[in-house]
Amino acid sequence: MITLSYRIQGGDFDSAGLATRKLKEQLSKIGIGAPVMRRAMIASYEAEMNVVIHARTGTLWARLDEEKLDLEVADEGPGIPDVQLALREGWSTASSQARQMGFGAGLGLPNIRKNSDLFDIETRVGRGTRIRSTILLGARDEGDAPLLNVPGFLSLDYRRCRACLRCIFACPTAALRVHGSRPVLLPELCIGCTACAAECGDEVFGIGGADTGSSHTGRTAAPRGSGAELLPVPPDAVLVLPRGFLAGFPVNDSPARVLAALQDAGFADIRLVEEWEQALRREARTFAGSGKMPLPLIPPFCPAVVALVESRFPSLIPHLGRWLSPIEAAGEEFPLRPVFLVAACGAQYSAAGRTSLTDRLTVLTPARLAEAVLPGLARRPAAASTASAIAGGEPAPDPRELAATGVRHVMRVLSEAEAGALDGATLLDLSLCDGGCAGSPLLCADPFLALHRWQRGPISAAHSDAAAVPRQKPYAQRHGVRLDKDMGEAIRRLARIDELTRALPGRECGACGAPSCAAFAEDVVMGRADADGCPHRPEHGEETQ
Amino acid sequence: MKVKELAGLIDARLHLGTCSEDSEIARVHASDTMSDLIEHAAPDTLLLTTLNNNQLIRVAELLDVPGICLVSGADPRPELLARARETGTAILVSPTGLEETCRLLEACSGKLEVTRA
Repeated sequence: MITLSYRIQGGDFDSAGLATRKLKEQLSKIGIGAPVMRRAMIASYEAEMNVVIHARTGTLWARLDEEKLDLEVADEGPGIPDVQLALREGWSTASSQARQMGFGAGLGLPNIRKNSDLFDIETRVGRGTRIRSTILLGARDEGDAPLLNVPGFLSLDYRRCRACLRCIFACPTAALRVHGSRPVLLPELCIGCTACAAECGDEVFGIGGADTGSSHTGRTAAPRGSGAELLPVPPDAVLVLPRGFLAGFPVNDSPARVLAALQDAGFADIRLVEEWEQALRREARTFAGSGKMPLPLIPPFCPAVVALVESRFPSLIPHLGRWLSPIEAAGEEFPLRPVFLVAACGAQYSAAGRTSLTDRLTVLTPARLAEAVLPGLARRPAAASTASAIAGGEPAPDPRELAATGVRHVMRVLSEAEAGALDGATLLDLSLCDGGCAGSPLLCADPFLALHRWQRGPISAAHSDAAAVPRQKPYAQRHGVRLDKDMGEAIRRLARIDELTRALPGRECGACGAPSCAAFAEDVVMGRADADGCPHRPEHGEETQ
Repeated sequence: MKVKELAGLIDARLHLGTCSEDSEIARVHASDTMSDLIEHAAPDTLLLTTLNNNQLIRVAELLDVPGICLVSGADPRPELLARARETGTAILVSPTGLEETCRLLEACSGKLEVTRA
């Protein structure tokens, strides 16, 4: 994989197109095919001209691997007040100078979209715009599901697995199996929550690792951070982390000490992701009262809850609030500074990684940041630091809101909401980890221990300018594993799954490695498991009553 | 059709780039907006336009366009010609306007496809 980057100067019509030309020179060396090159040039040039025409300054990034070319153009500029309007052909706000040159026909953004396999635009008025275009190097297959739609990014360390089967029952989307003595992930079903990791006593599960099973490899937009060097920290870097990280260390290391150690490591500007969570909560509360959306409103506090709704509760998709999740919003907040985001789970890891292709944004696992900090902790004196305060503080709860955390409870609440039984609630404040993000098993041993530690030594609140960021990309149902590309064959398979499920004993014991008889039946029909895997089938001579 | 032959058809002045003489042209696309020109730009397509600025060359360069035809006897800017020489793009100047040039080219429809924005 290679990453190239080029600066773009706003208003400079003389050198306009130079970044794209340089990109072409590099791509030519690689021998990229003519149809892909053509689409890349159109998308890149149009995006570059957007910066020249509208913005002060910007950068073009291109990232190429064996499957796809990702282009990203970010600028510091006026932003686009109405993206839907801007995407309409013929709509433009270009200057008369640009129009005289033949630009400003309102075809730029539509042209980029037309030539992309995946297109995404994020914009903030007064701040700037970020356009992403992905072009798949293989042939375009319109019938295929989007390739880059795997939300989770779990890594599995097979060697630690004792095949205890607890994870397969913990997974809310039945994405895990244990075959032989190793866990197997069905990435299409994984929503990136950490339910498996919370249940696993052997630390099999992590995030951000490369070893995520062969079928998974190359199918996600690989989040940055896995290989990036953390130190030295760039001088103007911002570190955004969850409160649970500061409170996640053994008892002598108070949040203030951890904070001081991070500052020692070179992070001058440290922010809590909870700032953006609160900004989102404020915005969502206002919006819930506006009558513009069906209630209860489900703001995207937790990207894993969003993925769960998209896969298991699609009828609630209209209830999902159209904002970026807090960690994504934090990544958008500082467009031209290096930002380090600490993700508490796979869902955050991939959501944060998706917001940018640039090296500006580095997504870290808690473990990786801890590696950088722990030596600092050991060196510090025991007295708590009085390092500069960072924002915190919770808004008061509202009785019309329903807050729930933990997989089991969130699943129950969503079922009730789907059944229309929660009509009185205005807002669902849901988080898949026990006790909220602080309960992520990747942050600390237990959310209540962390909370205790935080309450004993909280870091006083400063003013926060964090804001909720509107989401441009619509939510979409996740279809999970497709039984077959051909619908006729898919229907036949569905019938076989149904038949086999009924023939199985229904003990849901997990002995076959699947969490339920229905999941096992699907595994057998899809060729993922052998029918003999069930030790309780009647032909094994065992009583099924 | 070779660039030279095409220039003859419309009585155009021909400013040759370094290597475009042998380029085979199958299509002419006429437009006065950049995005539309980009969308139709291709290695076998001559772009016909009322525009006259350096960005035309940039587009030609990025999308391997063999030549650009200006209209109404326009004077190509020196920078445009200089860049065209660098990139090997042919610059033609038709003495007539866009519509009339299109009509002349359409007259030999067997050999050329002419499209307009």
